[in-house]
Amino acid sequence: MIKVKLKCFSQVKYALGTGEVILEIEIGATTAELEEMVRDRADGRLDGVGLSVAINQQYVKGDVVLHDGDEVVLIPPVQGG
Amino acid sequence: MRLDPKDLDLWIKGGHSFTAIDLRQKEQRDEMPIIGIDHIVADERNLPISDKDVVLICQYGLVTEGLIIEKGLSDAYSLSGGVESWNTFLLDKIDMSHWSRQIILEEIGVEGQRKLMNSRVGIVGMGGLGCPAAQALIGAGVMKLVIMDGDIVEQSNIHRQVLYGIDDIGSSKVDVAKQKLKKIYGAASIEIIDSYLEADNGASFFRNLDIVIDATDNNASRELIDHFSKEYNVPMIYGGLYRYEGQVSVLNVNGSCGYTDLFPDHGNSKNCSEAGVLGMLPGIIGNIQALEAVKIILGIRPNLIGKLMIYDGMNHKTETIEL
Repeated sequence: MIKVKLKCFSQVKYALGTGEVILEIEIGATTAELEEMVRDRADGRLDGVGLSVAINQQYVKGDVVLHDGDEVVLIPPVQGG
Repeated sequence: MRLDPKDLDLWIKGGHSFTAIDLRQKEQRDEMPIIGIDHIVADERNLPISDKDVVLICQYGLVTEGLIIEKGLSDAYSLSGGVESWNTFLLDKIDMSHWSRQIILEEIGVEGQRKLMNSRVGIVGMGGLGCPAAQALIGAGVMKLVIMDGDIVEQSNIHRQVLYGIDDIGSSKVDVAKQKLKKIYGAASIEIIDSYLEADNGASFFRNLDIVIDATDNNASRELIDHFSKEYNVPMIYGGLYRYEGQVSVLNVNGSCGYTDLFPDHGNSKNCSEAGVLGMLPGIIGNIQALEAVKIILGIRPNLIGKLMIYDGMNHKTETIEL
């Protein structure tokens, strides 16, 4: 298992009830698997919310393998203005 | 009769009552808005009747001189040199000490200040983000602002939309905003478009803009801004809010990341009326958008081109992501 730090903003923060959480994932797990785990934890509160992904302050596209110690942000677009 | 810019300036300062009529085509008006004269737009074939002195305005003063002779408008005045001469006259005589506190910044200086004064910034949405962004830009000396919103002021707007008060409820947002912004700097040209951004009005709005501020409250409008921003190569300053948080990014600068690249799947995220927002947040994010606009106009680095900044007002932490 490896550990990644999930930094949470807007809908993700309110869905998980925290601004930051350490998650344990399988070696070789990807961003898509992490997102699925987060959506499960959110228990429906992220249903329909599109999420973009950044690893270590770098935006990434597609499904990317995570490494021990990575900092991940799942970025929801925010509509308010 | 011809009227020199300095005589017109004396009229304005002396409170002389007159009707100024801009006879130019839309393209010319967009490219070079008249600064510092309250005016109406009309077609030379259908001039409005006025019981005041009439000042006809064209680009160089030649069309209006010819029109007066051709139509025998002996009581009308032609602004000598047209908008070209008037704007140059006004910008030359503006007291630059008004901006002395920012001119002393080495990144700005007199040259940068003049660049700001000649820039043309569009704001889509005159709500929580648009109000502070417009205030800050007019304050900074941006003399050509185009503001677009089809909404009216409602009571629930006032806690965060700082240009509006109780007496403005029911009035057009852009009308009220123009009045309030004119009080900050009367010589600024503030063009209002009292409608929402749509596919069929985007081209005329974006043409000749240097920067566009995205101050909307929904993803569909942001996608439209993104589309026109790319098509007309106008950098887009994205801003968004969620409760105590905000996001800012400078998008579409010479092919850099755009809104739909950043959020290819926006899903069904909530706006302020659904998610709620504390009144200060739009002030913070709208001002950051204005700050980035000034930096982009002046070429100041670092900036948020190719970056997304997320601000959390609860703990005052920011997260900056490279795009």
